[in-house]
Amino acid sequence: MIFVIAEHNNGRPKPITNELLVAAQRVSREFGQPVTAIVLGENTAAVADDLKSRKIDRVIRIDDPNLAQYSPDTYVTALNGLLADEKPFLVIAGHTTQGYDFAPRLAVKLRRPLIAGMVDFEKHGDRLILTRQIFNAKMNMKTAVRGEAPYLATASPGAFPGDEVEGGGNAEVVSYAAQLEGPSTRKVVDRAEAQKGQADLSSAPIIISGGRGLKQKENFQVIFDLAQSIGGSVGASRPVVDAEWLPREYQIGSSGQTVSPRLYIAVGISGAIQHLVGMQTSRCIVAINKDAEAPIFKVAHYGIVDDLFKVLPALTKIFNDLKAGS
Amino acid sequence: MKIISCIKPVPDPASRLVINETKTWIKDQDLTFVASEADNYALEEALRLKEKHGGEVVVISMGGEEAARVLRSGLAMGADRAIHLFDEKFKGADEFAAAEALAEAIRKDGGADLILTGVQSDDLGTGMTGVMLAEFLGIGHATVVVGVEANPDAKTLRAKRELEGGMNETVELPVPALLTIQFGINQPRYASLKGIMAAKKKEMKVLAAADLGLADHQVGRAGAMYEVKEVLIPERKSRVEILTGTPEEAAAKLVEKLRKEAKVL
Ligand SMILES: Cc1cc2nc3c(=O)[nH]c(=O)nc-3n(C[C@H](O)[C@H](O)[C@H](O)COP(=O)(O)OP(=O)(O)OC[C@H]3O[C@@H](n4cnc5c(N)ncnc54)[C@H](O)[C@@H]3O)c2cc1C
Ligand SMILES: Nc1ncnc2c1ncn2[C@@H]1O[C@H](COP(=O)(O)O)[C@@H](O)[C@H]1O
Repeated sequence: MIFVIAEHNNGRPKPITNELLVAAQRVSREFGQPVTAIVLGENTAAVADDLKSRKIDRVIRIDDPNLAQYSPDTYVTALNGLLADEKPFLVIAGHTTQGYDFAPRLAVKLRRPLIAGMVDFEKHGDRLILTRQIFNAKMNMKTAVRGEAPYLATASPGAFPGDEVEGGGNAEVVSYAAQLEGPSTRKVVDRAEAQKGQADLSSAPIIISGGRGLKQKENFQVIFDLAQSIGGSVGASRPVVDAEWLPREYQIGSSGQTVSPRLYIAVGISGAIQHLVGMQTSRCIVAINKDAEAPIFKVAHYGIVDDLFKVLPALTKIFNDLKAGS
Repeated sequence: MKIISCIKPVPDPASRLVINETKTWIKDQDLTFVASEADNYALEEALRLKEKHGGEVVVISMGGEEAARVLRSGLAMGADRAIHLFDEKFKGADEFAAAEALAEAIRKDGGADLILTGVQSDDLGTGMTGVMLAEFLGIGHATVVVGVEANPDAKTLRAKRELEGGMNETVELPVPALLTIQFGINQPRYASLKGIMAAKKKEMKVLAAADLGLADHQVGRAGAMYEVKEVLIPERKSRVEILTGTPEEAAAKLVEKLRKEAKVL
């Protein structure tokens, strides 16, 4: 059995859940193990109903008022009981603020392997090999889980294409009664939007984004200059914002804005997964980076491998000349 | 409040990383090591909490000589003392083995009110170690923390977590607790010359596996939950077209491509 820990809100599975199901369906094909979706929460009927149409074997609902809001201790207790009863082969959660918040605790409780941030897998004989990224996506590491099942994994968002989830199923829906000791000791007291951004980049047709490669705040001027010459908006990777070179609302990525412009120029940005998920659907992506191995080139259509401080002024000059000539 | 801040030594981000002969890690002999970036934010937060509520800040690291160096920098930034988990046997640890060793060392030091780690390291980078450490110690935790408010009298704290989609959630949990600190929560200070001098006189406790009561099969590579099969540079599904020449030539080619081929301008 392969368990998928479904994430959901407002009675619907979140997009990551389809990605996890794709990962599970692929492992299922290789290892001949059926897939079960696990839904934890309160009033999970609608989510279970939605999920049962995927090509999976079963949906297990763990319905409990103490699971109404996600919390690591109640999730771990509930899943620990379920895993002891069901003995699955593999449990897949999302490498998300929920998944990496509880899965490591569950792994310690069970003393079983957890491969976090899985991006791919292989079958070597009957051994499961999981691939994860290391050194900020510069390298991959293939790991073999040790010992007996269950094995745990969190799948990196964006690594498995959610739209490839196989449907046409009519899975059985069953309920599981969790033995919880009571409500969580960690209580959610507030939930709010991080900040109301003025710099709404979601509809910008052209974005020039700068990263840590700019080195210091003053240097960001070359980004503004290019943006002005081309008629584009300015964006940034997270470290730029963390260092307070630009306000938070310029940040693009998993904890910033998601954009999909006609043209996205990434300057001095390495291409960490958290950045890519915020911009990889852009129609045309240009990367300017002095490191030919930077992962940003994986998603780029055009690339220049050189010093940004030489390339940007040259680009800006061309656009300014074009403007002057037209 | 006693706060323990975890520091992982990682290669200086400016280093050129080369995969080793056995393809199981990088060649790390000639590299300089620094504190993993998120750990600087964690330590800064620890120091600010101490400045507000009193108590002490202890920095802890598991690793070779390079760990001693990052601990010294932590002391120079203002931590009061350091614990160095130093043993050949710790080599090859995964997150699980690291967390178990750190947990035993923290227990041996009498525990703490608050334990901070980075949200994720710059090498393994999945943020597992802190959460595992919390489970080993049997205390509550919160991940991806962008704000901390301690209430030592009530023995509780509030942590603001960064969620997906531009949302934040504030959680309240009892202390002792562990928090994994997100980049950008503060602006980490630099060590002053005075701090660097003072650091030389501060205590650095060195602990080996045996001191922690851990058997050989529980530490390092032997204690790891997974075996590293291969480290590799991922293949790029290369649709990218690299434009070559001098910066001026490459820029001109790019503009041509964007206008004539991609037609986005
Ligand atoms: C929970 C969480 C959420 C996150 N959310 C986000 C997010 O929303 N958005 C985001 O961007 N990141 C996010 N991150 C951070 C992310 O993991 C990366 O650390 C970050 O994206 C790296 O930014 P960067 O590419 O600018 O910096 P680096 O990775 O340091 O890359 C700098 C690049 O500049 C290049 N460079 C340096 N000098 C030059 C030069 N002179 N000319 C040309 N190139 C040069 C280098 O080769 C390098 O590739 C998040 C992390 C976590 C843990
Ligand atoms: N060997 C170690 N020594 C001290 N702290 C560590 C060690 N390994 C991991 N940590 C802490 O755990 C955090 C997350 O690491 P990781 O699980 O590798 O992403 C780091 O930022 C450190 O704060």
